[in-house]
Amino acid sequence: MKRWYSLEEKTIWVTGGAGYLGSAITAELDQVCKKVVCFDLPGKSEALVRDLGLKRTVPLSTDINNAKTLPAILEGLLTEHGVPDGVVHLVTASSSGKRLEELSPDEFQRTFDLALTPSFILCRTLAERMKVRGTGSVILFSSMYGVVAPDKSIYHAPMAPNPIDYGASKAATLQMARYLAMHYGPSGVRFNCITPGPFPNKAVQRDHPSFVQDLTRRTVLHRVGQNEEIVGPTLFLLTDGASFVTGHSLVVDGGWTIW
Amino acid sequence: MTAHPGICLTDKVIIQFGGTGLLGRALVKSLASAQATLVVASRNRAALQSLADAESAGGRKVFIEETDISSEASLSSLRDRVLAQHGRIDGIVFNAVSRPMGSMNDDLKKWRDSMETNATGFFATCRVFGDAMAKQGGGSIVNIASIYGMVGSNLSLYEGTNMGVAPDYFFNKGGMINLTRYLASHYGAQKVRVNVVSPGGIYNPDTPQAAEFITRYNKITMLGRMCDASEVGGAVIFLLSDSSTYITGTNLPVDGGHTAK
Repeated sequence: MKRWYSLEEKTIWVTGGAGYLGSAITAELDQVCKKVVCFDLPGKSEALVRDLGLKRTVPLSTDINNAKTLPAILEGLLTEHGVPDGVVHLVTASSSGKRLEELSPDEFQRTFDLALTPSFILCRTLAERMKVRGTGSVILFSSMYGVVAPDKSIYHAPMAPNPIDYGASKAATLQMARYLAMHYGPSGVRFNCITPGPFPNKAVQRDHPSFVQDLTRRTVLHRVGQNEEIVGPTLFLLTDGASFVTGHSLVVDGGWTIW
Repeated sequence: MTAHPGICLTDKVIIQFGGTGLLGRALVKSLASAQATLVVASRNRAALQSLADAESAGGRKVFIEETDISSEASLSSLRDRVLAQHGRIDGIVFNAVSRPMGSMNDDLKKWRDSMETNATGFFATCRVFGDAMAKQGGGSIVNIASIYGMVGSNLSLYEGTNMGVAPDYFFNKGGMINLTRYLASHYGAQKVRVNVVSPGGIYNPDTPQAAEFITRYNKITMLGRMCDASEVGGAVIFLLSDSSTYITGTNLPVDGGHTAK
C-alpha cells in the first residue's frame, strides 16, 4: 500500500522553482516525485539542476508572464510533459519596490499584470485539463502582507516599506485561490495558498542583521523562517494527506499574524 | 524512492486524548501508521482495547492509559507514567470532547458540565503537557476543533431531521481556536508549537446522518461531499511532524472548502 504522502508516481510543475523558496521545494520534489518541471528566469533552472545534481527535474526558461502568449505555450508544454498532478505556482511574486508616495499608476498596474492575470490563465488552463482526470492539487503563494499590513517601523531608510502593490496583489492571490477552489472542487481539483511569513533570503540574513532581528521580534517563535521550512507545507498540500483541504490559506509565519 | 522523511512520526512519542469516537479511532490508525509511539489517553480503556490490540498485532505501537482530564492530578500522573515508560513526550493531540448539551433550552447545569471538560480540562491538559514539552526543549500540540468554532450554525441543514446543534460546542470550539493562539505565543520561545485542526462534517458509515442532511451538506462544501474520518489524520500528522517547524498558532480547516465560501 502506498503511503498517503507518496508522490512517487506524480509529475509536479514548479514555477519560480529556482528562487529562494522554490529551489528548496524543487530539490525535495526531485527526490520524491516521478518528474519535476521547473520554470524560472533564463538560465536559473538549468543552473539549479546542474549545481544540485537533480535527476528528475526538467529545467525550463519559458516565459510564463505574458497572459496573451501563455495559452499556446502551455498547450505545447502539456503535449511534451503531460498533464501535471500538481502545480506549485511561486511566480505570483511581483513588486514595484516603490514608496507609496512615488508609485506611478503604470508601476502599480504592472505588478497586477505580472502577478495576477498570467496566474489566472495558468491555473485555468491546467485545471481544465486536470478536471478531466478528476484529481489535482494547485498551490498558489500569497504572503503575510496579503493578510496584514507591514509594520513601517521595521523598515529603516533607505529601505522602503514593503510596497502597497505587492500586498494588494497577494491579497488578490488568496481570493483567486478560494474562487478557483470553489469552481474546480466538484471536479476533484484542489486549490490552496501557502502564506509565508518572514523568509528573508540568505544574503539578507547575512547583510542586514538588524532588519532580521526586527523581523524576528514580530514572530512568536523568535526567529525568521528558513527556505527548507516551506517544503513540508508544500508536500502536505500536494499529497492525499490533504485530500479534504481546499480553498485554504496555510499560514507558515512563525506566528507573525496571530497577535 | 523515499517519501519525505519529515511527514512521519518515527521515534516520536505522541499522546492522543480521546480515541473512542469515529474521528478518534481514525486518528489512532493514522498516527500509528505514521510510525508514532502512540499513547491513547481515555476514560474508557475497554472501548479501546480491541483497536489497540489490532494495531499492536500489525506491528504498530499503541498503548492505552486511563486518564481523567478534569483532574490535574490525573494529568500529571499520566505525564509521569509516559515519561517513565517512553522517556519523552514529543506531541499531544487534544481530541477529547464532551457533549452534554442537546439543545438551546437545556438546563444550565449541562452548560457547566460542558465547561468542566471542554474548557477547564482542555486548558489543564495543554498546560501540563505544554510545560512538560517546554522543559524538555520543544514539542507540538495539535488541538481538534471544528468548523463550528469558526462559523455559526446553518439551521437549514437540519430541517426535518432529528439532528440538532448545541450552543456549548460553538463556544468551546471557538475558544479552543483562540486559546491555541494564546498558547502558541506563550510557548513559542520554548519551541513548543501549538496549532488547531478544524474538521468539517464527518460522514458516519456506522450510523449515517439523515439522508436529507447529507444531501444538503454535500452542497455546502467545495468538494461536494462530507469528510471521511480517515482524511483528518494527514493534517494532524503534518502539524505534529518536523515538516511544519515554522507553523504555530495556525488553524487548519479540513472542511472541503466549507469555510472558504
